[in-house]
Amino acid sequence: MDLSRTAVHSRTAVHSRRAVLRGTLLAIAAAGVGGAAAACGGRDTASNELTLWYWGGGLSDAVVADAVAKFKPTALVPSVIGGDFKQKLVTTMNGRKFVPDITGIKGENIASMLAEADRFIDLNTLGADRLAAQYVGWKWKEGTSRDGKLIGFPIDVGPTALFYRSDLFAQAGLPSEPAQVTAAISTWDGFFQAGRRLVQAVPGSFVVDSVVGLFKIGVGQSGKRFIDADNHFIGDRPHVRTAWDRAVKAIDMGVAAPQLENQDKTAARGNGTFACSPGAAWSALDIKNEAPDTAGKWRVAPMPEGPSNDGGSFLALTRECRNPQLAFEIITWLLGPDNQARGFTDAALFPTAPAAYKLPALTAGDPFFGGQSTIEVFGPAAENVPAAYEAPADAAVYQPFADEITLVWSKGKDRDAAWTDAVAAARQIAERQGVS
Amino acid sequence: MATAPPKARTAAPAAPAPRKEGALRRFWPQYVAITPFFLLFAVFLLGPILFSLYLSFQKWDGLGDMEFVGLRNYAYLVEDGKFWLALRNTVLIWIFSTVPTLFLALVVANLLHSAVRFSSFYRIAYFVPSVTSIVAIAIFFGSVFSTQAGLANAILGALGAAPVPWLVDEWTIKFVIATVICWQWVGYNALIYLAGLQAIPAELYEAARIDGAGPVQTFFRITIPQLRPIILFTVVISTITGMQTFTEPQVIFSSNVANAANSGGPGNAGLTAVLYFYNQAFTNSDYGYGAAIAWAVFLVILVFTVINWRLVSRRDRAGAR
Repeated sequence: MDLSRTAVHSRTAVHSRRAVLRGTLLAIAAAGVGGAAAACGGRDTASNELTLWYWGGGLSDAVVADAVAKFKPTALVPSVIGGDFKQKLVTTMNGRKFVPDITGIKGENIASMLAEADRFIDLNTLGADRLAAQYVGWKWKEGTSRDGKLIGFPIDVGPTALFYRSDLFAQAGLPSEPAQVTAAISTWDGFFQAGRRLVQAVPGSFVVDSVVGLFKIGVGQSGKRFIDADNHFIGDRPHVRTAWDRAVKAIDMGVAAPQLENQDKTAARGNGTFACSPGAAWSALDIKNEAPDTAGKWRVAPMPEGPSNDGGSFLALTRECRNPQLAFEIITWLLGPDNQARGFTDAALFPTAPAAYKLPALTAGDPFFGGQSTIEVFGPAAENVPAAYEAPADAAVYQPFADEITLVWSKGKDRDAAWTDAVAAARQIAERQGVS
Repeated sequence: MATAPPKARTAAPAAPAPRKEGALRRFWPQYVAITPFFLLFAVFLLGPILFSLYLSFQKWDGLGDMEFVGLRNYAYLVEDGKFWLALRNTVLIWIFSTVPTLFLALVVANLLHSAVRFSSFYRIAYFVPSVTSIVAIAIFFGSVFSTQAGLANAILGALGAAPVPWLVDEWTIKFVIATVICWQWVGYNALIYLAGLQAIPAELYEAARIDGAGPVQTFFRITIPQLRPIILFTVVISTITGMQTFTEPQVIFSSNVANAANSGGPGNAGLTAVLYFYNQAFTNSDYGYGAAIAWAVFLVILVFTVINWRLVSRRDRAGAR
């Protein structure tokens, strides 16, 4: 409006203004095109640059910094990506521009990435197959597609064990030192017996912190999941039912703590509500952070009836990778036993190379666990996790079971109704996801 | 929300634009001036909206090839008990939050209107929550309503009452989420009402006083009818935002279990429709189904907005007749 009024009053003014406007637009357009061209050009020609995407805590920052120094003159450009990592990776891969050469893949996303294996480079073609024996087999398999392409090179694993309070176990007259506990609680029956005794002797204390976690561990121990390799729904089979019944038993026997959220859960770790917490190796860090006052009172014992796994990520090379051979060399350097041991110290990343389990960083006694060398529990656990086929839709199909067992736990929902509802809902989701 | 009024304003002069030849040539600077908005709108809003409509007829994991499935996603939606539960939760949380929010906002607006001292301070104080990060607020309220370590139960305990499992029970979960929304939006709506109150001519109140009307009568006979268009605006905006409640339950019930989708707490009591959409699309990588949920939510918002519009503006038309 202002502009048209000036047009009436003075033609020269409007000319100059138009000129300015036109000039500005041209400049913006030129800058945009030029910027894009520069970006594209820079990316295509500078083949001695390699980008690496990971999330905060996904790799040891110190190891990554050393890699940047070691692989000069190649410019290794690491980026810590915040927020929803998988979503940002997928979006960038769809855009087909600025795709990272090397990228992390979180454990929970590996199954869906394997379904798109042709968007990545088969690491076996770069010589990964020669290294297979140096890494835990089941995790290696998790990063391998069904036709044998290695897509994800394992960064870390989450072997599970029992974290327990030796002081509370002793108070209840239970064995309290790791060796004794291992002997006494080698089966789930032994676990429940000990739990019953502890709950009676130490009121307000429990041996299961999360019923959902107990269910998940049970499924993990079975070596099968909710969908089999032939894409059939197996969530109603005995291996799931056994894990479910065990979770229900923990509720019915009163050995499971009530469901707690947020602050309450944090508080429960420190105040003795959780006398035992079945969980993955990385949860040691949570306990240390949330309950620093309990230092020295915790110990670790093997999971009854064998280990399971919870979590653990991968590194992959995208199809757009500009120098696969060098990128693969970087990956193997980042994830060699020595650097994995550093990753354990820096970022609680439990190594996938058993050679690392013999290094001082892992064998040293941990004062938080009364000087116990926890690797004696976690090392064998990591090597003996049963391999299981995980379908892309597995997490979605698992969800109704977690929801329903939560209802039994927090609301006392009828056990049989909860099981029936869980199976029905899981079947519906499976069908929606194309599982028969 | 913020884009709606300018859109209406730019559309209005465009309609009666002279059909004379050369209009484009004569007014091109004006067209250039309004173009950036429409370019941004097309790229960042219209494009994605149309794409999501297209997506809702596909099966897509986000990376591979899309597969056309026709109306199958919508057929699943109708049978999906969890979707209906999520819709029910959304509507309940919306009612629990909107009714007290708008009522309190009206009260606060009246107080602000009659405040003599420090009125700017009060206005700013009431407005601060709506410019505070929802994530921070949700984390804060999540702690306040913790069963054992929370402030709410500490106060109840001091009064001798039994602790309430706020984040476990189906109804208290909704209450907590509604409280967060209410706390955040009372001040914003109050300022809008305040602007409306200040536009009501003082003569009306004077005349009412001369006719012997008390404060309550004045409020219901003058203030409320005069504010009707503004109330309508706030109700419509609250409907649109309330039906899209997402951040509060997402933050309060976020689990640190990596592959477990946030299902809105025990019994899915805090699972809102948009949270469910987010889980399906971004956690389960079922983008087609997620898009179908998003469009279903859009339809629900549309229906609710129309109903609200008719309810709140009905008496206006009745009065005009």
